[in-house]
Amino acid sequence: MMQFKKLFIIVLLIATAPVNADWQQPELSHNLTPVKNITPASDFELSDMDDVKIKLSDYRGKVVLLNFWATWCPPCIREMPSMERLHQQVNAEDFKVIAINQMEDADQVFAFTGQLEIDPTFDILFDSTSKVSQDYAVRGLPTTYLIDKQGNIRYRAVGGRVFDHPKVIEIINGLIKE
Amino acid sequence: MLSVQRYTIRFHIIHMKKYINLTFNTLFFIISLLAINTTAAAAKVSIHKNEMSGLLTWTSEDEGFSIELIQLLPDFIRAIYGKHDFPDEEIERAASYCMFGTILKNTSNQQLSYRVANWRYRTKDGKEHPVKTKSEWLEEWKKVGILFSWTLLPDEGEFSVGDWQQGFTTINLPRESEFDLVYKWELDGVQYSGVLNNIRCAPESLTGI
Repeated sequence: MMQFKKLFIIVLLIATAPVNADWQQPELSHNLTPVKNITPASDFELSDMDDVKIKLSDYRGKVVLLNFWATWCPPCIREMPSMERLHQQVNAEDFKVIAINQMEDADQVFAFTGQLEIDPTFDILFDSTSKVSQDYAVRGLPTTYLIDKQGNIRYRAVGGRVFDHPKVIEIINGLIKE
Repeated sequence: MLSVQRYTIRFHIIHMKKYINLTFNTLFFIISLLAINTTAAAAKVSIHKNEMSGLLTWTSEDEGFSIELIQLLPDFIRAIYGKHDFPDEEIERAASYCMFGTILKNTSNQQLSYRVANWRYRTKDGKEHPVKTKSEWLEEWKKVGILFSWTLLPDEGEFSVGDWQQGFTTINLPRESEFDLVYKWELDGVQYSGVLNNIRCAPESLTGI
């Protein structure tokens, strides 16, 4: 019965997706807003797809793009390939992309990433209770922060973006050089 | 004689300046009034019909703020909350609301903010009603053990340049009801308001269109 219900929901979502395709209208910009009051990024420990625990502080000394997302969020889906391209373009020794999924599980995300035009190779972590998103005062998805090598929040973006835009790469390179 | 002429010229210049100033001030006042009127009338509202489904989308852009309301089918709402294991009665309660996918954008180059608590929907009897906020929903969901806190339009937003947000707006009206949405936003400390007239709730299903 439970299996049938899940199957029904998936069929329903697929069936209603095209009629709700208007959700995907807004153009994605590349604006990142400098944070006026620079504050330390709150540390966290979350599991990745392989259930390995990862802490934000593990990446101290690197610039981190921290993205909050979910599979049901259309702009999150749209910006994800650009996050992967960014991840591949910037030297991994200096830069890290972390995508924190909200209240979904590894099976749901695995099924979702299989449908993306580029398979994400960056860290996907699971914030199953949304505790971390609350610590970062995330009101809506997607929301993204750019954290400097000292662990301070320096830039913010609310809503989808094109992350491999030259202007974004220029900002990241600037933070790497600091 | 020369000094009298100079005085007369100065007198005329001073009066001309006063006159020019007065005229300029009057003109400025008239232009300002026109500008205010233009601002009120400048909101570009467009209605788009999805060719496949017949569902409607209303978009309005004015004073650095863009709002888009997209009709959502109850089945879409059922699917979204069913996916997150909501109890059946809560799924149905959510689906019984008139819901819209809502996209808010800061199209200005200034700081923008909004608060859903300041928004109203006006029914055909002329009465204004508060729009149910995300916090109100979360409080109700918490009582029945639902911790899922996403999909609904955040209660408030602080948008920098290029920021935008989306989520569901919930109106407590039956299917296919019509209403006006009165919404407000603040741009660099100045409050603005806009109205989207004759918004229509989605039907129960596509066959109703």
